[in-house]
Amino acid sequence: MELSEYVQKGFQMLADPGSFDSNAFTLLLRAAFQSLLDAQADEAVLDHPDLKHIDPVVLKHCYTAAATYILEAGKQRADKSTLSTYLEDCKFDRERIELFCTEYQNNKNSLESLLGSIGRSLPHITDVSWRLEYQIKTNQLHKMYRPAYLVTLNVENTDSRSHPEISFSCNMEQLQDLMGKVFKSSI
Amino acid sequence: MLLDLSEEHKEHLAFLPQVDSTVVSEFGRIAVEFLRRGSNPKIYEGAARKLNVSSDTVQHGVEGLTYLLTESSKLMISELDFQDSVFVLGFSEELNKLLLQLYLDNRKEIRTILSELAPDLPSYHSLEWRLDVQLASRSLRQQIKPSVTIKLHLNQNGDHSTEVLQTDPATLLHLVQQLEQALEEMKTNHCRRVVRNIK
Repeated sequence: MELSEYVQKGFQMLADPGSFDSNAFTLLLRAAFQSLLDAQADEAVLDHPDLKHIDPVVLKHCYTAAATYILEAGKQRADKSTLSTYLEDCKFDRERIELFCTEYQNNKNSLESLLGSIGRSLPHITDVSWRLEYQIKTNQLHKMYRPAYLVTLNVENTDSRSHPEISFSCNMEQLQDLMGKVFKSSI
Repeated sequence: MLLDLSEEHKEHLAFLPQVDSTVVSEFGRIAVEFLRRGSNPKIYEGAARKLNVSSDTVQHGVEGLTYLLTESSKLMISELDFQDSVFVLGFSEELNKLLLQLYLDNRKEIRTILSELAPDLPSYHSLEWRLDVQLASRSLRQQIKPSVTIKLHLNQNGDHSTEVLQTDPATLLHLVQQLEQALEEMKTNHCRRVVRNIK
């Protein structure tokens, strides 16, 4: 994992019990995870009274370092030993390393889920609806008397958050063909 | 159900008894060809010269025949009704038989052409699929994310379009289930009764 000097410096400050006592450390750590993973997270997550005594610049630096590290670790699927090694290098004591790893483990699934959902992909089918009709006549053609299906695929675009629909008509044979092919792909 | 032929229409068709039955057959062939591909006025001029009449007369004759054939095909009138409708024109027995034959021979194709004129939604042509597994992305490494990529081929008014879509295995199973239900519906008593009785 490649991490910048900025992150390293932030962690070194975070490791120092003089700058961050146990309580402050835990609060900052939780705030970092929360703001990444909780969509409804409060913007003023660092506004806790127990963090007020710390210089805001230092606070911001450490918070950013923690958030950056968490995302990078999540992206690379870092295991406990990788995490411990890095934190040791940043002069974290045993207790703080344990705390970090526990907090990371608790949030690992949500983190990976979040990271996995970022990115471009093809339009994604979310649902299908269908309509069966019996065609009787049009103004150009009478006595048609044939069944037809109208199929609508609900589609979601990851980027634009738009929900276009793809509709098409087909007769029974075509629907059977479609069904057969889709079914084969699902086996 | 009898065809309702206007006076103007009857006038145009009045040209037909004045020519040979081979000519009438040829006009019939031209009429269907025009339905398939669109009309070509040059053909009228050629025929007019050979028959020694004005090209307008030829055009009216062909158009009258076209209208006769398309209206009959649209309404899907029975042989008997067709014969009765044509009877009012006062043509010879031979010409009547020829016209009936023209109708019966071309009815199916004309109905197919007419069905293409209906308000149209894209219709299904075919489907290709591919199973993929996503291994990594810029934001997350070491993934195993299966997905099915589908290329849907659709037709509309002669244009071919394709949609490339993706879905996950769970949604795919849901799709299969839903489409199965759709197909099953045709076999229910309700649908069978409707199909049997509305003809």
